[in-house]
Amino acid sequence: MTTLTRQDLNFGQVVADILCEFLEVAIHLILYVREVYPSGIFQKKKKYNVPVQMSCHPELNQYIQDTLHCVKPLIEKNDAEKVAVVIMDKEHHPVERFVFEISQPPLLSISSDTLLSHVEQLLRAFILKISVCDAVLNSNPPGCSFTVLVHTREAATRNMEKVQVIKDFPWIVADEQEVHMPDSRLIPLKTMTSDIVKMQLYVEERAQKT
Amino acid sequence: MDELYLDNIDEYVNDHNKIVTYKWLSLTLGVHVNTAKQMLFHYLDHKRKESSTPLHATYLVTGKLVENGNTSHKVSVVREEQLEDVKSKMSLTVSVHVYSVQKAALKDSGPLYSVDYDAVKDNLDSCSRYSAIKCADAVPFSPAEMRHASDALQFPATEPHQSKSASVNGQGNQTSKPATKPQPKGIMGMFTSKAAPKNQEPGKEIKVEQKEDTTTGDVSKSKSAPKASPMSNFFGTQATKRSEKTVKEETTSSSSVETKSETSPPAKKVKETHPKEVKVKETQPKEAKAEETQPKERKEPSDSEEEKMETKKRRRIKKPQSDSSDDDDVIPDSPKQQEMRKPPPTPERLLKEKIVSQPNECKRRKRRRVMKSHTFMDEEGCIVTEKGYESESYSESEDHVQAGKPANVPAKAATGKREDEKKAKKKMSPPANKGTKQASIMGFFQKK
Repeated sequence: MTTLTRQDLNFGQVVADILCEFLEVAIHLILYVREVYPSGIFQKKKKYNVPVQMSCHPELNQYIQDTLHCVKPLIEKNDAEKVAVVIMDKEHHPVERFVFEISQPPLLSISSDTLLSHVEQLLRAFILKISVCDAVLNSNPPGCSFTVLVHTREAATRNMEKVQVIKDFPWIVADEQEVHMPDSRLIPLKTMTSDIVKMQLYVEERAQKT
Repeated sequence: MDELYLDNIDEYVNDHNKIVTYKWLSLTLGVHVNTAKQMLFHYLDHKRKESSTPLHATYLVTGKLVENGNTSHKVSVVREEQLEDVKSKMSLTVSVHVYSVQKAALKDSGPLYSVDYDAVKDNLDSCSRYSAIKCADAVPFSPAEMRHASDALQFPATEPHQSKSASVNGQGNQTSKPATKPQPKGIMGMFTSKAAPKNQEPGKEIKVEQKEDTTTGDVSKSKSAPKASPMSNFFGTQATKRSEKTVKEETTSSSSVETKSETSPPAKKVKETHPKEVKVKETQPKEAKAEETQPKERKEPSDSEEEKMETKKRRRIKKPQSDSSDDDDVIPDSPKQQEMRKPPPTPERLLKEKIVSQPNECKRRKRRRVMKSHTFMDEEGCIVTEKGYESESYSESEDHVQAGKPANVPAKAATGKREDEKKAKKKMSPPANKGTKQASIMGFFQKK
């Protein structure tokens, strides 16, 4: 059993890696389940020992990877409070938001034997919940697009604007229009608590989608 | 009591929004699977009569199917809408039962597996406790038998392990290949399959580590030798370093192998040990070199060019050996090797490296069907990705499948050193062109 603190950057990187991998799979799965893109571009792949649908489109994959590459430093420093995948209709009004609330405990005690497999099990449950979420959600109008918003603690975004982590991939402060969703109802999907991270997934859905 | 299960299932399906499969239900409630199936059926029936929330169900259908004159026993999980359709196609329906009940309309079958995964994992030692499939002879091993079995497995352990790692990486088709040459084909599989590069990377590491295990263990090192040279040809620096390390580990014993093999080896085997040994010469005394030159002189003239290439190469590496460390030797090699695929490099020695490796592989050309994905722009300006099986010819060590045949044939025929250089240069350009073309396709996969 080792006790590590947030200053142990190595461990912070490990947690950030795990979370970013998970977020990548989750974003692909959300795009598949909510039919944002036609299902033909998706292919079954294996993650956490279960089949998941990942897209094959190179530009889409690159976009998602670049996005998460920029989010990773925020997660490492525990600056990212929420990562939201927002699905917008043709007029760029949000219809659905899948919000991942992430928090990391300051002091971690790890027994590494079962830790990672336990975390894997929890992440598997998240994946499963996303797969069946269309039972509780109304279907989206056609022609939707998506974007990823990150809510950070304090003023971490200022750094992101100044320093371009990836060239030609700038992050900008989101518009009020993209963030605010009128008449929304909240549907919790899954919560997980583990030694290294606490995560909650819920969906905010606009009451009238079309 | 009898009706309690209906409430249970109702809670799982409606409140928790779970997918309730019969297997999960039987493990959760501790009932026999047939009971679980009946429970699900009754629940479905009950709910449908009430017609409250829409429920979806999947069914497991088994039966005999006659297709193109072949009779087969088909087992499939189908959605409710397709149930009647599938049943009508079967000549004889053996069994139909409810597989799962859920609120969501499932788009694909992935979640059905995920649902059972954790339940089965928790009950791994007794997952067939409630199962209807029984075999009286299937009895777990006693501890004595287990020890005996594990001892027996230790020596051929590496080969099943390789095939296991191959299947873990998503290349299930590799397990059927002959055990004598699992490694090169596993490596080839990595470069041509559609597994994500993430899988490829750990796969590469696993394969290299496997190579370390096998090469340090066996006496038949000459067999493993061909694997090192193709590997070093297209792995990056890191992997090359590792293969160098494994080669180092086997230099001491391989030099003894060399002496044995002087007497009557097939010319190819001995020749193949050379590219590796050549690279790791630093610790070897000069006698080892003398030993190696001897078998060379005995070879047929058709192989003489390769030997001369190798001696040249060996001399080159021996020279700076006193100045620089092993890694310095190795590191300049591999990036240059990769550059060979681009417009021809200037150093002659690199050309010879390629010649050395290519003739080794030309004998092992095979055809195989590979799933290839072509991304192109169609009339409407949309990017289209088509996946299809293609039959292509490959030689085990090449990562891009090309007609290396015209390139290899001159290698065999040439005798003089000068001629070789010219032909080597000629050889360089076709692979180089194809290299650039191939790089774009491979780049698509490696990006992921």
